[in-house]
Amino acid sequence: MPMLEEEIRQIMADETARLQAAPDLAERVMRASRGRRTRARVAALATSVAVIAAAPIGYLTVGSVATTGQEPTISAMPEPPAIDDTPPVPSKPRELGDLGDGKEFGQVKVGYLPERLRWSNWSVDFGDRYSTSYNFDGDKNSFYCVQIYMYEEAAVQELDDRIQQYRDEGDGEEVTIGDRTGYLVIQHVGEDGMKGTPTLFLRMGDRQRAEIMFSPTYAKEFSGAEAVSAELKRIAEGLTSTR
Amino acid sequence: MSGVERDFSAFVAARATSLLRVAYLACGDAAEAEDLLQTALERTYRSWDRVRHDSPEPYVRRVIVNAAISRARRRAILSIIPMHSPPERSARATDVDLRHVLMEALRALPPRQRAVIVLRYWEDLSETQTAEVLGCSVGTVKSQASKAMAKLRSALGRESAEGVIRNAHA
Repeated sequence: MPMLEEEIRQIMADETARLQAAPDLAERVMRASRGRRTRARVAALATSVAVIAAAPIGYLTVGSVATTGQEPTISAMPEPPAIDDTPPVPSKPRELGDLGDGKEFGQVKVGYLPERLRWSNWSVDFGDRYSTSYNFDGDKNSFYCVQIYMYEEAAVQELDDRIQQYRDEGDGEEVTIGDRTGYLVIQHVGEDGMKGTPTLFLRMGDRQRAEIMFSPTYAKEFSGAEAVSAELKRIAEGLTSTR
Repeated sequence: MSGVERDFSAFVAARATSLLRVAYLACGDAAEAEDLLQTALERTYRSWDRVRHDSPEPYVRRVIVNAAISRARRRAILSIIPMHSPPERSARATDVDLRHVLMEALRALPPRQRAVIVLRYWEDLSETQTAEVLGCSVGTVKSQASKAMAKLRSALGRESAEGVIRNAHA
């Protein structure tokens, strides 16, 4: 093996040797899991929460082992750290309302959708970012087939930054959709090992962008990546701004 | 304690430290690594009936790595982490600094490239196994690994840095 790889391996070993998982980790995981189930069942358990918060639950700080080499310190923490991608009590975002056939929402019109797809009755509205999706049965609880996420005004920068990251990584390709430009890429957004989310980012003027996504499951219905890309481009071609 | 809880506890006791190290290398931060590991284990525990019959460790590793990539992208970490230059001081004086520089260079890699390096050279996964974890093709793994190594060489300055690393371990 080339030298640099061996040295990287050695330095990674040195760097992580100090790390030890907390002995009570399994217990904390199971407790958090039970807590999550409880929260889902009961909307408000103010009394219980107060009791839990007051209980002296020991939380091991692994970092303290790492830096001092001494016994782990225990600090009283009422709950495990907040998990940013699975918030325990998600607040329900606003929706876009009844979109009818779903072919016009926010400030955009959908001119083309693949066969058999219909509006899923699901939408979300964060103001300058909003989205809806399409699936086979129109059930908002079914998995999505196609999702269109719109970014406007200040939110445009967020999307442009994300596209730039893909460019920097050499991931994806520039595409032309009529007289507009776009970026085609497979996104890996935490599908836990699935084949990724085929996505086309479309520039719709200075202050409007669209992110058109195929679910990894839906993408399997097509003959291959080229067919998926072609369909994404057709959707993009039919997308028009009503701003 | 139920049978499921005993099973799960035994797995965590046996593999959590190893998985914590993967999480740390994937995200570059000890506190976030703990959070990633706990998140991954919570997801695993919820699916334990299904997962335990196969091999839980690859499942947890996959959740960790994909969550690390997802978080890094969401937070746009790449845009705020400065690239480091190779140290200009003498080798002996920079044992600790050099390790820091390399770890910072690893952190500065785009998240998927960093994940490829961790899975290939820390977890010793093959290119095929790495592709399975990341949900991409073997060709993508090869190209991402190649780009990552080129960036590490560039960030470290291959000629001087490798000599310094050798001294650091001498």
